[in-house]
Amino acid sequence: MEPLSFMRRLGLMLGLVLLQVLILNRIALFGYVTPLFYIWMIVRFDSSMSRNSVLLWAFFTGLLVDLFGGTPGLNAASATFLAMFQPGMVKVFVPLDRHEIFVPGSSTMGNRAFWGYLLLTTALHHTVYFILLSIPLGDWSVLALKVVFSTLLTVVFMYAADYSAVKKGPKSVMVR
Amino acid sequence: MRSLLDFIVRHSYVFLFVLLETLSLIFLFGFNDRQKEAYLTSANSVSGTLLEWRSGIERYFGLNKENATLVEENSRLRDLLYQYVDSQYVQTARELSSDRTVAARVIDNSIRKDNNYITIDKGSLDGVAKGMGVYNPDGVVGVVMLTGKRYSIVMPVLNSNTSISCKVKGSDSFGFLEWQGGDPYKAHIVDMPYHSSVQRGDTIVTTGFSSVFPEGIPVGVVSGVEHSRNGYTLKVQVTLAVDMSDLNWIYVHSLVRDPEIDKLYEQIKN
Repeated sequence: MEPLSFMRRLGLMLGLVLLQVLILNRIALFGYVTPLFYIWMIVRFDSSMSRNSVLLWAFFTGLLVDLFGGTPGLNAASATFLAMFQPGMVKVFVPLDRHEIFVPGSSTMGNRAFWGYLLLTTALHHTVYFILLSIPLGDWSVLALKVVFSTLLTVVFMYAADYSAVKKGPKSVMVR
Repeated sequence: MRSLLDFIVRHSYVFLFVLLETLSLIFLFGFNDRQKEAYLTSANSVSGTLLEWRSGIERYFGLNKENATLVEENSRLRDLLYQYVDSQYVQTARELSSDRTVAARVIDNSIRKDNNYITIDKGSLDGVAKGMGVYNPDGVVGVVMLTGKRYSIVMPVLNSNTSISCKVKGSDSFGFLEWQGGDPYKAHIVDMPYHSSVQRGDTIVTTGFSSVFPEGIPVGVVSGVEHSRNGYTLKVQVTLAVDMSDLNWIYVHSLVRDPEIDKLYEQIKN
């Protein structure tokens, strides 16, 4: 899988922001469960990107979702937090060669590792997101429900996106 | 010195992370003034235009249900019209004609926060003003909090600062509808007198005491009654009549009150 050019990454960012604020923000299953699919942008950051650019892309993606979603700072904070730990999380599941350009996906990581990677990154982001959203913290059980079920829904969305990308794109070589 | 610089350059992303998180948290906690927050995020024209796009997409998928609701309401209004034409109550008819109702579309709405807001596509140019009551065919939605020229922000029932005077239909027992977060389908009536005869299944409607809502607009149905902590009043749980997660068209209503009443209120304030 090839890393994205600047313009394609910008296009992906704007597309995901629009999808999030125009449609996904309105989904509230049982009044609680909302997919935050825009983090697909951050989850897919490739290993050729510098840590600084990873943070800046994530921050501005979150800020745009905030600007049009009526939540100033909420998504910017949680997306930046995820971006700080995303490179480390890739390494939890895949031993990377320093010179290898690696794009996280089921075709490069294998299904099991990719599911684990998606669950871990999404749970981290959603935990920060829902804690900030719920301040002052009151009902911890409701908070936990929101994190767990929203994480599952977001992961399903991301897995579907990965599946369609793999079906459309060229065959890739598995790392392991 | 050089090794310190090397360290800073090598770990510049840590400083950038702290800077970006600090900025985000300033945005998050710096807009505590709810009116400012609502205005900055929803009532400006950039957000307003984007939110209108979103609302357009959603409306396309909800047209069948919307049509059914409108047909039902048209029929109800037609019935009312006939009643008033036949009515001898000239005074009531005159009063009604002096009220103003503006139909508006909901272009942004939230139900998950502790203080939710609704953005509508009508503003001061359309005659919407702060303090006007907002409802839809199912019942009470909220009160206009802030108006721009083309858009307005409504403070809905699902906002911890909302307090709406309401009563049990068919009786004089009244209290104030409040929402303390959590379930978006349930709210509470507080300060209802202890001796009130209120039971599960009773219908709650607006009192008409204020100039915000006319009397008799549905609020919800009683789903539980308990004693307040002070022991003198009841706390009544209400299942809301309006599904706040599914709002499309709403009515903004301005009840024109006799100026003499306003004068009396002014005297009390002074």
